[in-house]
Amino acid sequence: MDESERTALRFEHASLAYGRARVVEEVDGVVRAGESVALIGPNGSGKSTLLKAVLGLVAVVGGRIEVLGRVPARARRDVAYVPQADTLDAEFPVTAGQVVLMGRYREIGWIRRPGAGDRRIAAAALDAVGLADRAGERFGTLSGGQRQRVLLARAIAQQPRLLLLDEPFNGVDAVSQEALLSALASLGAAGAAVVISTHDLALAHLACDEVCLLNRHQVAFGPTAATLTPELLRAAYGGQALVTDGVVVAH
Amino acid sequence: MVRLLVEPFESPFMARALVEALLLGVVGAVVSVFVVLRRLAFVSDALTHTVFPGVVIGYLVAETDGIVWGALAFAVLSAVLLTLLAVNARVTEDATLAILLTGFFAVGVILVSRRSSYTADLTAFLFGRILTVDRQQIILTAVIGAVVLLTLALLGKELVLRAFDPDGAAARGYRVLALDLALNLVVALVVVASVRAVGTVLVIALLVVPGAAARLLSDRLAVIVVLAAAIGALGGWLGLAASYEASVNHGLRLASGATVVLALVALYAVAAAVGAVRSSGRLAFASGGLSSERAP
Repeated sequence: MDESERTALRFEHASLAYGRARVVEEVDGVVRAGESVALIGPNGSGKSTLLKAVLGLVAVVGGRIEVLGRVPARARRDVAYVPQADTLDAEFPVTAGQVVLMGRYREIGWIRRPGAGDRRIAAAALDAVGLADRAGERFGTLSGGQRQRVLLARAIAQQPRLLLLDEPFNGVDAVSQEALLSALASLGAAGAAVVISTHDLALAHLACDEVCLLNRHQVAFGPTAATLTPELLRAAYGGQALVTDGVVVAH
Repeated sequence: MVRLLVEPFESPFMARALVEALLLGVVGAVVSVFVVLRRLAFVSDALTHTVFPGVVIGYLVAETDGIVWGALAFAVLSAVLLTLLAVNARVTEDATLAILLTGFFAVGVILVSRRSSYTADLTAFLFGRILTVDRQQIILTAVIGAVVLLTLALLGKELVLRAFDPDGAAARGYRVLALDLALNLVVALVVVASVRAVGTVLVIALLVVPGAAARLLSDRLAVIVVLAAAIGALGGWLGLAASYEASVNHGLRLASGATVVLALVALYAVAAAVGAVRSSGRLAFASGGLSSERAP
């Protein structure tokens, strides 16, 4: 694999805007295949905006974002996005298995129905997050953590090279957290790059090789241990970061 | 019972009304599942009213034959307008919808009020005349219905994905705006097909009630679609039979379109009761199941 194949995501002084309002400025860094990066910053720091820009849904108004060697909108086929489970309608009449199968829709294409191959891939993905026995249950009846795992399974079924997760550990119980982490680790081992926006610094330590600290602009981008320092966290959180017992806690 | 349900339809005009009611009931019901999933009831209501001036203009230009074309033109216009509005709503969406709805409706009323047969015309446009539908009208309904059902069959999985997870759909490169336009057009087509038979006001019942009722009975999308279609058809049948029975044998004139709507609402009430019994049964089962270990 040459260098461009190995680079999953490249930010070059990227600035992002909604309409005329600049939301994020000067993001600079590289995420390689198999690597995982935590996006960390306070609410409104631009984490979700940055994820949307990688999906080509928010305009890059300065600099560049390159996704798998392409402009973001052209890379969507190989990029999976995992939304926060609690943003989805819990009353929606759809089973966990059907949600996972949605990850195959782009590959299935218009008009056609999912085939046996798609169902096999979806079943394997649900198994990878430890919920093989829940395929027939309605999505909304599962716990928050299980719903998050179903959404990760949907992303896995898509067989992505780059995976974007929006606050996947919010309100997730220990069992589900463990299942999410192990599924993410196997994705990384299989060569997929992972970007996780999160508030949870302990999990960033656990799950990510690198950290991008964000507060409307990039505060730091580098290896997790070197980047999650009290000084840099204070810079990102505006003095609201606390360090207790060696664990960094942020508000 | 058989007499009540079958006999009324021995006369040709009642038989035609039944065919029309069944067609509209089934097609409207399948669409209503998507209306309920997307929570588009108010948008659909707005569509029924914004089509109204088209009905009137079509009638003024070419009498009864013009109604469908006028309605179709305004249906397409309204579907596009409502889709765009949902994206760039500066005012809260429901206020904008209400303004649009009432504005278009007023234009229709002003146009129709210039005619000498004002009251009769208005009643026909608003509430339809299902007992006078002819063969041609039934064929038109069948054609529009086929287009609607085919569209939903072809775009079904993408429309469901968009309804469930719009951000996820956009992230995968689906044009959410195009999918929304497609569904709004489908809703608008049902309004067009229904204009002559049930009118622009009552069609909202066909576009909401069967889906809402079926949703109370099942959590499975495929089952919901089938149940909704059955409820839509049954509502049409029962409503027509009831209005015939009341008018002919009891001297009580019931407007047939409105009676169909009431039959649908009654079916909704039954579904709500059945749904309540089912979910309380499930709760009892669940709390009983907690005490004993779950089988592996």
